[in-house]
Amino acid sequence: MTSVDEVKPVARRAAGPSPRTAHGPAGAAGPTAGRRVRSRRSGRWWTPWLFLAPALILFLYFKFIPMASALTMSFQDVQPYLGNRWVGGENYATVLSSDGFREAAWHTLVLAVGQTAGSMLLGLTLALLMEGQGRRISFVRSAAFLPVVVPIAVVAELWRIMYHPTEEGMLNSVLGLVGLGPSGFINDPDSSMVSIMLTGIWRGAPYDMMIFLAGLAGVDRGLYEAAKVDGASRLQRIRHVAVPGLRAVLSILFVLAAIRGLRVFTEVFLLTNGGPDGSTEVVMTVIYKLGLEQNRLGVAAAGAVLLFLATLVLTVSVHLFRRRGNA
Amino acid sequence: MQRTRWIGAGFLASALALTSCTSGPAGADAKQDPKAQLELWTRTTPGGPGEKATLRLVTGFEKATGHKVKVTAIFDDFETKLQQRAAQRNLPDIVMNDVTQIGAMHSQGLLREIDLSKIENSGDLIEQGRDSGKGVDGKQYGIPYSAQTGALLIRKDWREKLKLDTPKSWDDLAAMAEAFTTRDPDGNGKKDTYGLAAPLSTKRGYASWYFSNFLWAAGGDFITETGKGTYKPAMASKESAEAVRWFRALNCERKVVQPGAVTMDTPPTNETFEAGRTGLFVVGPYLMPRFDTSLGKDKYEVVPMPEGPKDATVLAEGGAVYLMAGSENRTGQDAFAGYAISADGQRLGMQGEEGSTVQLPVNKTVDVAEVRPDPRWKTYAEVYRTSGRYAPSVPNWTPIRQASAETLNALMADCSLDADVELRELDEKLARILKEQGIAG
Repeated sequence: MTSVDEVKPVARRAAGPSPRTAHGPAGAAGPTAGRRVRSRRSGRWWTPWLFLAPALILFLYFKFIPMASALTMSFQDVQPYLGNRWVGGENYATVLSSDGFREAAWHTLVLAVGQTAGSMLLGLTLALLMEGQGRRISFVRSAAFLPVVVPIAVVAELWRIMYHPTEEGMLNSVLGLVGLGPSGFINDPDSSMVSIMLTGIWRGAPYDMMIFLAGLAGVDRGLYEAAKVDGASRLQRIRHVAVPGLRAVLSILFVLAAIRGLRVFTEVFLLTNGGPDGSTEVVMTVIYKLGLEQNRLGVAAAGAVLLFLATLVLTVSVHLFRRRGNA
Repeated sequence: MQRTRWIGAGFLASALALTSCTSGPAGADAKQDPKAQLELWTRTTPGGPGEKATLRLVTGFEKATGHKVKVTAIFDDFETKLQQRAAQRNLPDIVMNDVTQIGAMHSQGLLREIDLSKIENSGDLIEQGRDSGKGVDGKQYGIPYSAQTGALLIRKDWREKLKLDTPKSWDDLAAMAEAFTTRDPDGNGKKDTYGLAAPLSTKRGYASWYFSNFLWAAGGDFITETGKGTYKPAMASKESAEAVRWFRALNCERKVVQPGAVTMDTPPTNETFEAGRTGLFVVGPYLMPRFDTSLGKDKYEVVPMPEGPKDATVLAEGGAVYLMAGSENRTGQDAFAGYAISADGQRLGMQGEEGSTVQLPVNKTVDVAEVRPDPRWKTYAEVYRTSGRYAPSVPNWTPIRQASAETLNALMADCSLDADVELRELDEKLARILKEQGIAG
């Protein structure tokens, strides 16, 4: 869905930290100010808007208006035919006080942290293993990327089959070989969360791998060689050369993965729908149940706004954290 | 720069203005035109056999009455799309959808009241079918055109191999499930078969949906009516608790339910039955064509559910014709409802091998065997007439089904939970839901 579009700018940004710092604020101010004066003199003010108009109109109708109406709906009892009724914060109260919302928020957090950490770690490992130019390796890389391309519905069905809870189940028969008893996986309240996390990591890691690969391409090969000459071991080279070079990539990935983690829905919905015993209930499944299954769109909108705010806070704080780190 | 910023603000302001003008009071009654084309929405896969069957019914209606109908089949997000049309104040004239939607659609003001005296053939409706179209206020808001109910599917070859009789009581049923699980009915030497197939996921409330067949037969109930249109929760009652205990034992003690049931909705559960993993399944007649092909007609049999502690009540469901508010052709609406339940309409609706609009007829004068000679259909029709029971028409049944499905799912998944505590908590939840819907009493 987003893979190609997002990989490119990240790659550029990943390669970018050195030139950006080289410019510095003082050097940039002069030319920009000059250009602004020139544009005011020669160009008409609306020329840039004209060029932006097609995109802006699309955004307006397919993003901003729906977002604004979601916001209004979150304060209303939505009855399209009878007319929406203004109810103030009642929808928010319904969501926040509903059974299991806080539990679901906690589950979402756990799942987001686990999946983010897991897929970044696995993604980095895969990226380090598959870095390079060879033709064969690019084939392996494409193969490793497959889980991201496969529709999530197929992935969920696949894992459901693998998670079959008896000895004949695919993963259970592997566990049986090393003498571990059959696990209930998604069917056991104790192991369901970990199972979903594992599916998420399996799906998310290759995506992270691609972005890491792009980042690694921007790390100066000379630094590796210098470290090698200085007698750094392979692990030390990764720790002191590759990982610092990936700092920008890491923070971007972190934001992307965290947003993905907070919005997690499809795999949970398809694998367990929040069960067994509510052990995998996440914010989105609660919103879905409250809003769409029960047809209470105002309540669903309130839940979505809350989730949006959480994502916004997270993104902004990561951004601030990063900026402070750079300064 | 200043000016451009203003333009940005203008964009935003206009966006907000546009969104806020979508709400307003509902329009007055539409001007009537008895010749206007009727727009009909049906919840079935577009281009599928269900749509073709609806078109057949509609052609019959057009020929019989002269009204014109435009059919639109929608399956995914049907309710959401209906909401969109509601927001435009331009509802279709007729909607054919699940009978359980009546509460939700009525409370949203989408339905108009139906005067039964204006609906031809309404006197021929089977009573519980007719009553399923009543709202919580006792007025008629829907006309059921098709019914279905659950019966017990048994793997006949397994039963005969193990020399068992068809179950006459719940004890027989449990014993058969146990035999299917432990006595290798498929003779492959492996312990890979189970007794009862059960979709117990919380998705769309499947666990509660399936369990209704057992709960009501034990004399229990989700909610019981306390007066006219008021209800109180009943899941902690003696009968309900007993039903839960018995059903839970199937999974926790006897272990005769298919593994993974707690995360399965109907599609994977159906597969366990047709793949020869499970031998007993309580389902509606709509699965017979599928199992006839995948499993074979001779491999399984259809019998009524054995009597439980109280009786053999099973869940009845079906489709209803809803006459939508704001139509400019109410005469046409009434005529369509009348035709759909007429003997001709019902017979026409039952036609079609793969998909038909009518599963079991709701018209007393129509015998299912006239169109479908297969005796298994007769079994289903008998069960519906004698033991079919619909979910009550509360304003919104979904939260009740969801809440009870979650508790049941928990009890089936975690055998260490205390059932009495969980059921008491469920009752508290149900009490809140009933209060919220204004029908607590």
